[in-house]
Amino acid sequence: MVATNRGDKVDASPTKAFFVNMITRDITLEDTILDLIDNSVDAAWHSEGGRAMELADAVDLSAYRISISVSPERFSIRDNCGGMTLDDAVDHAFSFGRRASQELEEYSIGVYGIGMKRAVFRLGTDIRIRSTYTKPDGAREAFAVTIVVDEWLQNDDPPWDFDIDDDHDLDADGVEIVVESLNEGTEVSFGNPAFVRNLRRMIARDYTLHLNRGLQIAINDAAVEELPIALRRSDEIAPVRVKYKDQAGEVMVEIIGGMAAPPPESIDPDDAEDGDKRFGWYVACNGRIVLAADKTNVSGWGTSNWPRWHPQYSGFVGIVLFTAANAAYLPLTTTKRSVDASSGVLLRARRRMRDIAKEWIAYTNARKQALEEAKRKEEAAKAVPIQQVEMRRSLALPKLTPVQAEPVANVNYAVSVSRMKRLAAELGNVNMSYRDVGLKSFDYMYDELIEES
Amino acid sequence: MTSFDIVNYSLRPSKEIQRQIAFDGIRMLKSRLEMTDMIYVGLGSIWFADFVWAHKSLDIRHMVSIEKDDIGYSRACFNRPYATVQVRHGHSSEVLAKLHDDDYYNARPWVVWLDYDGGLSEVATNDVRAIIENSPANTILLITFRGREGTYGRTDQRSRRLRALLGDVVPDDLPKEHYKGDRMQETLADLATDFMKAVGAESARPGGFVPAFRMIYRDTMDMVTVGGIVPAAGDVTRAKSVISDENWRCCPLGRIVAPLLTIREAFTLLSLLPRDDQLTREQVRAAGFDLKEEQIEAFERYYREYPMFAQIVA
Repeated sequence: MVATNRGDKVDASPTKAFFVNMITRDITLEDTILDLIDNSVDAAWHSEGGRAMELADAVDLSAYRISISVSPERFSIRDNCGGMTLDDAVDHAFSFGRRASQELEEYSIGVYGIGMKRAVFRLGTDIRIRSTYTKPDGAREAFAVTIVVDEWLQNDDPPWDFDIDDDHDLDADGVEIVVESLNEGTEVSFGNPAFVRNLRRMIARDYTLHLNRGLQIAINDAAVEELPIALRRSDEIAPVRVKYKDQAGEVMVEIIGGMAAPPPESIDPDDAEDGDKRFGWYVACNGRIVLAADKTNVSGWGTSNWPRWHPQYSGFVGIVLFTAANAAYLPLTTTKRSVDASSGVLLRARRRMRDIAKEWIAYTNARKQALEEAKRKEEAAKAVPIQQVEMRRSLALPKLTPVQAEPVANVNYAVSVSRMKRLAAELGNVNMSYRDVGLKSFDYMYDELIEES
Repeated sequence: MTSFDIVNYSLRPSKEIQRQIAFDGIRMLKSRLEMTDMIYVGLGSIWFADFVWAHKSLDIRHMVSIEKDDIGYSRACFNRPYATVQVRHGHSSEVLAKLHDDDYYNARPWVVWLDYDGGLSEVATNDVRAIIENSPANTILLITFRGREGTYGRTDQRSRRLRALLGDVVPDDLPKEHYKGDRMQETLADLATDFMKAVGAESARPGGFVPAFRMIYRDTMDMVTVGGIVPAAGDVTRAKSVISDENWRCCPLGRIVAPLLTIREAFTLLSLLPRDDQLTREQVRAAGFDLKEEQIEAFERYYREYPMFAQIVA
């Protein structure tokens, strides 16, 4: 920032370089890409009438496609979701410091204003953004914005707005963003196969509610499949599902939770499966998952009268959906990767979330005294997508009869991983948990050596 | 049982061919990147075939062989082919950590070839991670491991097994066919290479990891060799230009399956090569014996590297 004394005034005008540094320093590369997807999703949602996104509605998004291409040389995202209007471009996307309020309306989650600038600056330095849209009178309009960041940074005099040029139409109404001369960190990440595959997983998870409605998202020409959230249901097991309005009716809140999988028999970290990552609380704001599988105090674990997460609680999944026409009412952080833990709507929802979680915790304690009965009843329950869960005010879980158990001996010993894996493979499953390998080995020797009278 | 108790290394022509191709490639990288005073690190067993190549082909003097087996260590010490070969007794992770802590070794690029007896394992992926993260700039790394599908569990278990070994680079939705039959070795080669690239990116090495070697070969069983270079930042472009050159042979399509030939058969075929047209089965028959078409084709492709073994009768 330049702060030079000129008589009795201080020039506090920021430089462009300072601005770029400030808006990009706290956002991850993944979040910048999700920001751009949010813009496309909002456009699709706007094209479908901009209604409140509730699980039960029947909005079909299958006509909309978002294609993302990442490589160490180039990033692009292209959609057919309706396009950005020239007004949006002038007032929000490519201007600085004007009219920030309108962009929060119509059940959106993306924000063209800061989101797009932040995203493209974070990605690279040669940027071209094109949009084609159909005006209310039926005429198509197209424009393009080219940003060469190094050149743009050379002059700090206002206005900072980018030039908007006429352009030829894209094939379909939509937006295309191409970024080249990628920043060093971006180039390295895009060359990392693990980054690209995790990006795919993240998109599958965070947009699962949109993908479930048919929205098509592809990364490097491969479709992203939805990651459905399903809970178990039977005669004795049923998820909770409640719905209410908050913030003087501005925010619709829906809470669903229950058994996604049986709790683990072992809490040995060596035996933890990938599946452990999917348990916990999810929070969605206007359809976008902003907090996934949370086991921290952000969603309430470990806060007052609510125990910290423990691996014993694995198997539980809950989701809270906040929906509001004006995104300002949502408990969103600016990166949309978490929730504002001080938000009133979230704190009020957390009371109900805590009660649900405590029912689950009590069940996981009780089942230890009646494990076989619990496993039998859990096995009988079938997974149901959350969209099909019926309204119900409390969680239903099996009533178990404690069984007096014989005193047990716990065995703990160490062997090399390579020997353990070879034995697991010989026992028929190379992925068998260490615990099960130990038990089967014991059973084998017991049968071999002990004659039961 | 270690592999030297199972098979005589010198009778595996496909392995020998891939070894020669790899050392040719390493020599090209060494020359273009002007690497000198290199270190060779390997699992020399008791045969040291790769160490002999490293010395003869690359003029590497300082060599370290890692041997964890007690008797193997004793035999390796007895059989080491040159005075400058050190045999270090211990697990690869322990020995590599000591080398990484040694200023002498850290001052020059390494050629590391970890030729494992079994399949890809936790030991192998830990070694790969340690080498990519810690080895000096311009280190060249190759690993060889068993590609037989059953090594990684039953078909429906293989995806999860590889996920446990290689982490996030393993796709969630790879079709089951990719974990079966000949596709399994391709999958292993691709995912192991992706794993190396991911480690290079995540460890923020200035030059990253540049894949350079990908060979699948079969003697008695399917084996996979993959690897690359962790170039200095200033050498990335030169390294990539070597690897993208049309003369780079270290990523052949298909697998190397050399026919098992007698010395007489091999010399007879050699006398017919090289030639402008393709050697035919009729021409082989005319020379006095017979082979399958694919055997003839394989020999013609790799005749320059085909090993000539003769049994010495004392």
